[in-house]
Amino acid sequence: MKTKIFSPLCLVFLFTISLFAQDANKLLKEVDDNLMPSSYESYRKLINEEPDGSKKEFTFYTVKKGNDKIAMLYLTPASEKGRSTLRLGDNMWLYIPNVNRPIRITSLQSVIGGVFNNADIMQLEYSVEYDALYGDGTDKEYILNLKAKNKTVTYDKLKMWVSKTDKILRKVEAYSASGMLIKTLEFKDDKNFGGGLTRPATIETYSPLYKGYRSLMIYQSIKKRQFADEIFTQSYMGRLGDIRK
Amino acid sequence: MKFTGWFTIVLMLALSTVAVAQEENEYDAPAEQEKKLELSGNLDVKYYMFNMDQKSAQYRLQFFNNLQSSSLLSQYKLEPYLNAEYRTSDLGFVLKTHASYYSDTDARFDLFEAYASFNPSFATTLQAGKRVYSWGKGYAFNPVGFVNSVKDPENPELAQGGILSASAEYIKSFPSGALQSLALQLIVITPDNLINGRYGELKNTDFAFKSSFLLWDTDIDLMAYYSKENQKRYGIDFSTNIKENIEVHGEFSFNRSLPRYYIRDNREVEEKVNASSYLIGLRYLGETNTTVIAEYYHSDAGLTSNEFENYNSFLIRSIESNDAAIIKQAIGINQSYFKSSALMRDYLYIKITQPEPFDWLYFTPSVYTIYNLTDKSFLVALTLNYKPSTNIEFILWPSALIGKEDSEFGSRQIKEKVELWMRVFF
Repeated sequence: MKTKIFSPLCLVFLFTISLFAQDANKLLKEVDDNLMPSSYESYRKLINEEPDGSKKEFTFYTVKKGNDKIAMLYLTPASEKGRSTLRLGDNMWLYIPNVNRPIRITSLQSVIGGVFNNADIMQLEYSVEYDALYGDGTDKEYILNLKAKNKTVTYDKLKMWVSKTDKILRKVEAYSASGMLIKTLEFKDDKNFGGGLTRPATIETYSPLYKGYRSLMIYQSIKKRQFADEIFTQSYMGRLGDIRK
Repeated sequence: MKFTGWFTIVLMLALSTVAVAQEENEYDAPAEQEKKLELSGNLDVKYYMFNMDQKSAQYRLQFFNNLQSSSLLSQYKLEPYLNAEYRTSDLGFVLKTHASYYSDTDARFDLFEAYASFNPSFATTLQAGKRVYSWGKGYAFNPVGFVNSVKDPENPELAQGGILSASAEYIKSFPSGALQSLALQLIVITPDNLINGRYGELKNTDFAFKSSFLLWDTDIDLMAYYSKENQKRYGIDFSTNIKENIEVHGEFSFNRSLPRYYIRDNREVEEKVNASSYLIGLRYLGETNTTVIAEYYHSDAGLTSNEFENYNSFLIRSIESNDAAIIKQAIGINQSYFKSSALMRDYLYIKITQPEPFDWLYFTPSVYTIYNLTDKSFLVALTLNYKPSTNIEFILWPSALIGKEDSEFGSRQIKEKVELWMRVFF
């Protein structure tokens, strides 16, 4: 008798969980859509700040198409100028002008030093890489608990704060598979980028692994733009600058 | 294949790239193109300290006029690199220059690259001039690098000079399916054996072709090199991630009529052989961001143990002759035919890099070795790279060559070396 009652309850429970997950994934997709157009070009500055106050700055030109193609060109400093990175789904390459050919790298690697790694800089869409579940929210914010869909994703778990009013991302905590906090990303300074896109212009990152260090990513412009698929190929990496307007 | 046949292929490829370009103008370039001329460069200031092996045949050969000098030597060298690039969405001009300065009486200028490019579309590009090509997936060695500049396995990321050539490249991306992208590259290489320093025989024009695929998340290249005068070469390489933090790569080449040099009866012998060469390697990223690159390299055309012994004996006999003409000839043979940094057949290359250990940002130490598996001699080096501020880099680079007197690395003229670099970029 107990089993007979237990089974329908189980089903109801699983069904509810499933609906809950669907709803959370829908919100995650909305968060992605509010952050970036599906295909765009952007200019952004990355600033690494050290405990003694000294700074290192990088400028990137980035192009993205759909949910699995992104390429990025280093514009400054002079020592890194001309480098480019390409990500196609789980595949990632680095092009160094002196080496003159793309080298396969992993998303875990950091090619610029500092708190950001490749995955942070070459972020595709959260909804492509993670499954979401609702956590305990606050009056003003939803909280989503994200679990990586596969092992190639850099951070196994993310905890995400999303404002209820405009569904804009406000904060992300990234955790390893063992549950260790790796870094925190805070999304600040809402700015109207035109084309109906208002989003945080600054992402501030700090990590318990790099005490006293702080990295800032500042978006200077984000524009919708369509690109040919061929731009997102290894052979194009050496001349990515050709498409800059 | 006759020259006319090759000419037809080149012409067809060039015409087809332009035709494809016209079809693909749905992603048009900006109507008003911004002209961009950019200057860049760097100055490398290098200070070397050497502990020379004065007993080695190589030392006695190179320093036969100064055998009384101290074994501890130093060298100061300036290397300015100056580059200019002009680019629009469809046109480009690239100039890369390099100079080495030891003293007012010993300085040299190199034109690394000077080429023009025209992109009829995003998918196609035509280039002509002096250009660097980099084929292959290996880090330290490239058996399929048929058009590459000679790489220094000790510093594979150093800028190199290119070759006089013209090339056409076509890229095609596929939205779905196992084949994600395809690239075709054809290179026409002008003769390098010049008459009066200016004229090459038309029949000595070489052709190189590479097709690249991204297939099932694996990079694959097939390449061929055709030459009437030089060797004919065929190759394949691949690179893929077998786990999220492990990349494996490999190269295989088969060379027909490859010139091979060795010493027999105290004189240099050239023979043409059919030989293969291959490399297998991996790149591993550990949890603490440690990167390990390991490669095994084999070349059929390398010297055997006996041949290396004969080569070493030849150098010793030349020195012991005490005859300036014989010594000069031996130096010439040594520099022309035995200057490769890997003369023998089997090598292991391992490099371990730990970026930012102990949370010391912008500091990257590496240790690497090139190990000769035949005679068990090796080179081991430590590089300490520090970028304390934007556009400046310091490198401390001690290295040692270890092996028996008659081994490849043990017989080199340098026993230990320390390099200090300061690099400023603009």
